[in-house]
Amino acid sequence: MASPIIDASGIVKDYGAARALHGVSLQIGTGEFVALVGPSGCGKTTLLKILAGFEEPTDGRLEIQGKDMRGVPAASRPTRMVFQKLALFPHKTVAENIGFSLKLQKVSKTETDSRIRTMLDLMHLKPDYLERYPAQLSGGEQQRVALARALVSQPSVLLLDEPMSALDAKLKKSLQAELKKLHRELGTSFVLVTHDLEEAMMLADRICVMRSGHVVQVGTPADIYYRPANMFVAGFIGETNFLPVTATAATDGGMAVTSPLVVSGKTTIASEHVSPSLSAKGTALLVRPETIRFVKGDAAPGEWLLDGHVEEYFIKGASTQYRIRVQGLDAAVIMDLPGSIVLPAAVGEAVRIGFDPVQAFLLSE
Amino acid sequence: MRIESKSWNDPVLVATVAPLAVVMVAFFLVPLLMTAVLTFQTTQYYRLVWTWDLKIWTEVFSKPHYWTIMLRTVTMALICVVLTVLIAFPVAYALATRLKTFKTQIQILIIFAFLTDAVLKTFGWILILDKNGVANWLLMHLGFPPEMLNLLFTPTGTMIGMVYNLVAYPIFTIYLSLVRIDRDLVLAAYDAGASRFRTFFEVTLPLSRPGLYSGAVLVFVLSLGAFLEPKVLGGGTSPLASELIRQSFETRVNWPLGAALTMVLITTGALMLAACAAFALRRTATTRRPA
Repeated sequence: MASPIIDASGIVKDYGAARALHGVSLQIGTGEFVALVGPSGCGKTTLLKILAGFEEPTDGRLEIQGKDMRGVPAASRPTRMVFQKLALFPHKTVAENIGFSLKLQKVSKTETDSRIRTMLDLMHLKPDYLERYPAQLSGGEQQRVALARALVSQPSVLLLDEPMSALDAKLKKSLQAELKKLHRELGTSFVLVTHDLEEAMMLADRICVMRSGHVVQVGTPADIYYRPANMFVAGFIGETNFLPVTATAATDGGMAVTSPLVVSGKTTIASEHVSPSLSAKGTALLVRPETIRFVKGDAAPGEWLLDGHVEEYFIKGASTQYRIRVQGLDAAVIMDLPGSIVLPAAVGEAVRIGFDPVQAFLLSE
Repeated sequence: MRIESKSWNDPVLVATVAPLAVVMVAFFLVPLLMTAVLTFQTTQYYRLVWTWDLKIWTEVFSKPHYWTIMLRTVTMALICVVLTVLIAFPVAYALATRLKTFKTQIQILIIFAFLTDAVLKTFGWILILDKNGVANWLLMHLGFPPEMLNLLFTPTGTMIGMVYNLVAYPIFTIYLSLVRIDRDLVLAAYDAGASRFRTFFEVTLPLSRPGLYSGAVLVFVLSLGAFLEPKVLGGGTSPLASELIRQSFETRVNWPLGAALTMVLITTGALMLAACAAFALRRTATTRRPA
């Protein structure tokens, strides 16, 4: 990255005896959209608050636009935040909420008015909302006002703390699309905190997956999805299958894998299908639900086969999900088949399933 | 529950509301009416005479003495409101935002002080405010001239007692308002570029208005009826309305006059509260917290 707008290195944050962040390093480029993802308590919100200046790191160095941020209060940083619960001032009108930062900067009345108008247009808010109070707006409208309030001062970095978690699914989808469009139009750097990896994949240029105060993986959505660093990242994306295997180094840089559950034996996984951070502990093949099929005749060449019985199925419309109980596996195997009016198997039926191990991805705990 | 336009036809509703209605009528409305009726009677040789005339009201409206006392009462009440709120706000603010470690202990101490009998506390102030009391002793030992303060049996002494006895009300109402303010609102103001000072005046103070108003109303109403402090610490030199009313009933045995002065006091208080309520409602009508 030529000139990162945010350069955090070795950020440590302690709350009393508890360590929330264990030396997190992350660079964010100018105009980049980065998502911080992880389960609750992973430290993503703490990191965002450190970027915003609401929390001071215990150790480590944070630079924004090349300047050391130690001791720089939130008010003097080129960042603006959209809060999880929005934090719109309930006693101020929409116009006063949006124009608050301009009032503090003593921007002239005409300039303030024109910038508020620009924000209204950008956020598709009606001008007659200006004199309303936040409580008189719907959830989606409040969201837009919160975005307008943050963007009106033309920040270099916009920080978003799970701003869409309280909205219903449909509204969330449309706001996500708008947020992406907004990012493209403005060229401002966006940092989004979310626990929803799907949302992060949709919106972000790069995703930083965090777990208990550590960065697990940083990469593009494609990296995260197709080349997850470990089972935690792979499992975080959604329901998937892990087949425990024994892996040994093969001659051409790939890995030779075997599974005690599969008689057909040994397969070589090419190096691009192997996680770069592979360790010996808990190696497994990541087999995606959509790559598994029912085998009712001959197996395809090289295909790995498993025998089990149908535990449950769910009709989802476009697809049908089957859960297959296989002897020797702790979790049921999940498979997503294209939806069809005729169901391929009934509950309790003994079935044989198969997948091509060459297409699977080798990783570890 | 939706209130129907013909709710008196609903026997369950009538049955549930009836006890409260009876209590309110018997112990609030009827005594008030009796007081009002009493003002139109007169006394002769310390005896009540049922005459139905305006003699008492003529007396009340023609003697400036009564109005001087009424005006003094209202002025004292307003000063008391201002002082208690000025003292209570920093205390409540410290309790709500700082003092994390000793918060509970301090709250318990305030509640103890608040619940201690007011008579006891007010007499306690004599020890402090007396010419040879603790306050002057302390000031003398700090190098000030002896008997510098002469506060006992002055309106200032009364005011000190009133403020002391009433300050706990606004402390708690303001505290409750302050703890309800979402911390993110303060952070949002910082984020927008506001200083701590500016944030206080733009966010914290406006949002603590409900507690400020309710605390002020409580203090105002209670200090209009202040009785103990003017008697004990004011020494009766500048009586307030409640003392005047007590004298009319007990010393002069002129019940109609006492009743009329009571009505004047109640009306004054009610009118001032209505004015304040109208003012407060106008400013907060559309300000509601987001869902």
